Amino acid sequence: MKNIIELEQTSKSFIQGDRIFTALKEVSLTINKGEYIAIVGKSGSGKSTLLNLITGIDHPSCGVVRVNGTDIHQLSESELATWRGKNIGIVFQFFQLIPTLTVIENILLAMEFVNAIPKNERQQRANSLLEMVDILDHGDKFPTALSGGEQQRAAIARALANDPDILVADEPTGNLDSSTAMSIKAIFSELVANGTTVVVVTHEGIDDSAFDRIIELKDGEIVLGITNASASEE
Amino acid sequence: MPIIYKKVLREMFIRYRSISVAILALTIGLWGVGTLLVSMHIMSNDLNQNFLQTKPAHIYLKSENFHKLDIDELLARPDIMAAEFRDKATLRVEVHKNEWLPLWLYSVNDFEKMSMGRFFKQNGRFPPAKGTILIERNNLLISDLNVGSTARVQSKGEIVETKISGIVFDPGQAPSTQDAFVYAYTDKENYSRLTGSPAQQRLMIRFSNAETKEDVKAKFKKLSNDFSRLGIKINSFYIPKFNEHPHQFQLNTLLYLNGIIGLLSFVMAMVLVSQLMSSIFTQQIRQIGIMKAIGASRTHIFKIYIAFILLMSLASILIGLPLAIITGKAYSAFVSGVINFDILTTQMPPAIYIVITLVGFVMPIIFSLPALLKGMNISVNDALSDYGIKTKRRVTSSNNLGIINSSMLSLSMRNIARRKGRMMVTMVTMALGVAIFLTGFNVRSSLQEFLDKTSQSMKYDLKVALKQPLPLAMALLPFKNIEKIKSIEGWVGGVGRIQSDSISTSTGIGIIATPFDSRLKEHDLMDGVWLTGSEELEFVANQQAALEFKPVVIGKSYPIVLKEQKLLARLVGVVREFDIAKIYLDLDKYNRLVNTDKKINSLMISLNNRAYDNVLEVKKEVEQIIEKAGMDVIYVMSQTERAVIIFNHLNIILTIILFLSLLVLSVSSMGMGSAMGINVIERTREIGVLRAIGATPKMVVNLFVIEGFIISVLSIFAGLLLALPMSALAANFFGELILGEDTPLDFAFSELGFTITLIVTLLFGYIASRAPANKATEITVHKAIAYE
Repeated sequence: MKNIIELEQTSKSFIQGDRIFTALKEVSLTINKGEYIAIVGKSGSGKSTLLNLITGIDHPSCGVVRVNGTDIHQLSESELATWRGKNIGIVFQFFQLIPTLTVIENILLAMEFVNAIPKNERQQRANSLLEMVDILDHGDKFPTALSGGEQQRAAIARALANDPDILVADEPTGNLDSSTAMSIKAIFSELVANGTTVVVVTHEGIDDSAFDRIIELKDGEIVLGITNASASEE
Repeated sequence: MPIIYKKVLREMFIRYRSISVAILALTIGLWGVGTLLVSMHIMSNDLNQNFLQTKPAHIYLKSENFHKLDIDELLARPDIMAAEFRDKATLRVEVHKNEWLPLWLYSVNDFEKMSMGRFFKQNGRFPPAKGTILIERNNLLISDLNVGSTARVQSKGEIVETKISGIVFDPGQAPSTQDAFVYAYTDKENYSRLTGSPAQQRLMIRFSNAETKEDVKAKFKKLSNDFSRLGIKINSFYIPKFNEHPHQFQLNTLLYLNGIIGLLSFVMAMVLVSQLMSSIFTQQIRQIGIMKAIGASRTHIFKIYIAFILLMSLASILIGLPLAIITGKAYSAFVSGVINFDILTTQMPPAIYIVITLVGFVMPIIFSLPALLKGMNISVNDALSDYGIKTKRRVTSSNNLGIINSSMLSLSMRNIARRKGRMMVTMVTMALGVAIFLTGFNVRSSLQEFLDKTSQSMKYDLKVALKQPLPLAMALLPFKNIEKIKSIEGWVGGVGRIQSDSISTSTGIGIIATPFDSRLKEHDLMDGVWLTGSEELEFVANQQAALEFKPVVIGKSYPIVLKEQKLLARLVGVVREFDIAKIYLDLDKYNRLVNTDKKINSLMISLNNRAYDNVLEVKKEVEQIIEKAGMDVIYVMSQTERAVIIFNHLNIILTIILFLSLLVLSVSSMGMGSAMGINVIERTREIGVLRAIGATPKMVVNLFVIEGFIISVLSIFAGLLLALPMSALAANFFGELILGEDTPLDFAFSELGFTITLIVTLLFGYIASRAPANKATEITVHKAIAYE
């Protein structure tokens, strides 16, 4: 299977006051195309840092971050923005929809930024995405008129606007009730089934048999990498 | 429409409050600059054009031998552009019942063919019917005179009547409302009837190829030699400032004021815009992070926010440009009314519109650039993790845990210190506002003190200016029975312009011959000493006259021509006064040298009771005596009236100084309001935490109000320090502008101004911090924690 995300001896350190804090310590990791990955760990374990490095939101202090064939640690902020738009969809815990745009406009905005989808196809694609996440009726509403679950669905639709190969989600269900969370997870599973690589940072993932792999971080290091089968066994 | 621009429009709609403030600030700035440009364009063009369309004379010559002159021959000379007789007499005219003002009566050869010193028909007949007069339009504001009425003119002690047949506009005259003169124009015959003097004794000339006063002097020198050969003796000549309106100094002052304060308010408005943009970007920073996370490049961010700025600029231009045109025109109209000139500009040139529009678009971009660049360059990580203020230093636990228990004052001070850069900008802007406001008051005090000093320096209460000099005893006789008079001195010459007309040196510098030890006038000595009474002929020049003796060397002897006698007089001192060029001589020596019959033309009267009402009462009595005695008088004026005349010259300047200073202070206060607003936004989470651990809304309000108070107090202190050198500079500047070169006004500190500044600044500071403070209390714990 083709590697889509590769980290080689990647570290990330921060300066906090007069001391240096290393959030990620020489992590090496490979994620294959079409895998459904959970990154778990306690608060401060480095999982969000790992996610930020994969999405290019943050730069590593050392090491290699290669995503979809691109050494993204070598890209500038500007190059990263374009690259990110084309290759990665990001779903945030607090949805982070633009409050002054309607749901469908949020999706169209992402398409407008990346310009990968032809203009005459954008509206139709946006509607399809909304239908896929089951909020087609809410397309013309502003985010504040939607429930938390609906907002997260909208955020997923926006993340998929430019048909990225990878979807990264940071605690996507952390702010939702359990039944809504279940429906979001179902969407992710469906995406994986369609060939999208999905990387989710989660607290509850350890119990989810849907993941292909669960990667656990502790103090900036990978302490456990288990496959779906072994997870089931445990 | 692209989604990014939809976003821009919706953001503007949703954030209408802060956007409105930003547009307001931009509009104020643009309005100020636009008004300045429009009024400068109109006034600098129009006053000059008004004046130049009169074709002002380059020189005025007086001679009793002009009958020997063939005017056609004179006009045929290549160095003469135009020459025309225009006699001028100083009389008195009754402006209201029993109220008399000096009248300058001119004789005009041919009203239809005036080659210079032209004036223009306003109302009634033009040319006037034979034997009638025309009066200047500004006279209507200070008198009951009008078309159809009969003017009572006092000439050679007698009352002569003449009908007024029309009103004219003479842009070459100083405004009657300020100088308290009446100007009238008539034919030669009526002139002689009214004045009892022959006409054709005063010649106006415009030289060809004359560009400066020096050119005029040189050309006159050649001409006077030719006149001598023809047997024409020039008794006196007067070269006015070259192509300059008599009140150009007022306009210059106003234009400078416009320039300085308009520019300062614009800079402050732009600082405010910069702060407001920074505030808007602060609110948008997380959205910028999200947009970058979903693929927005720096160009996208630039496009969004430049559209934001351009739309605000467009709104400010749409409001500010027409406003600027209206107020610029209105302001020019107001000034033109005061200085008595017509607004000739009907349409603004396209350049004005282009400049204002460009300023409206370009300046906000420049001043928003720091905030814009910050937004464009912020990393996604930094933008997404932005929860407001970060502290570089590690915050000790006591700083956090002691928040509620520690005094609000120390907490507010710590908060101010957290955003040193922004607070410095706010304080500097505010301090500058305070300094300008206070400087406005201080300069006003300097001018007021100067006026008071001028007024107090005159120890006499009434002055009677005689048209024809009289022997002292004869002049005093009619007044000997007025008991209220303490003393009377007879002088030759006196303050003001009229007296220079009758007694002056050959070069037109007014003469005041006064007893050297007279106690009726105190002098503001700038250099040297007052007249000593030594045997040698000595003189003291006022600052305007000193310009004619450059280089001014105290102790040096200069040639002066008095009554055609060339004398050497030693300059012993220079005094400062609000008057045209004058020199002071000792009366005794003046009498011995050129005034052997000891005639005087000014009576300086001091009264026992100097109260204003009493002075006016005595003035009436003096007027009655003059009428009864048939004395030929130019005017009777009290010192208070003269002070009012001087004040009127300066009042417009003083008023505008204060108005513009207040504008600057209010703009700087808006800057503080915006800075406090940014603080509230940045500290949203922190406010939520404060509320969560027990801070009441009142405590949160106090926190911001105290911050505002501290900033105001520090700004007042800094502004006060800054105001001192600024006031000294401004006093220097205005002194030179109003009184002439090297004549600074004395620095004066205005206690009233300081008190008002203190109150206004604290009030503005309170308002500027109270509004954001109220907004802070609206933030609930829930909102704060979920703040995005």
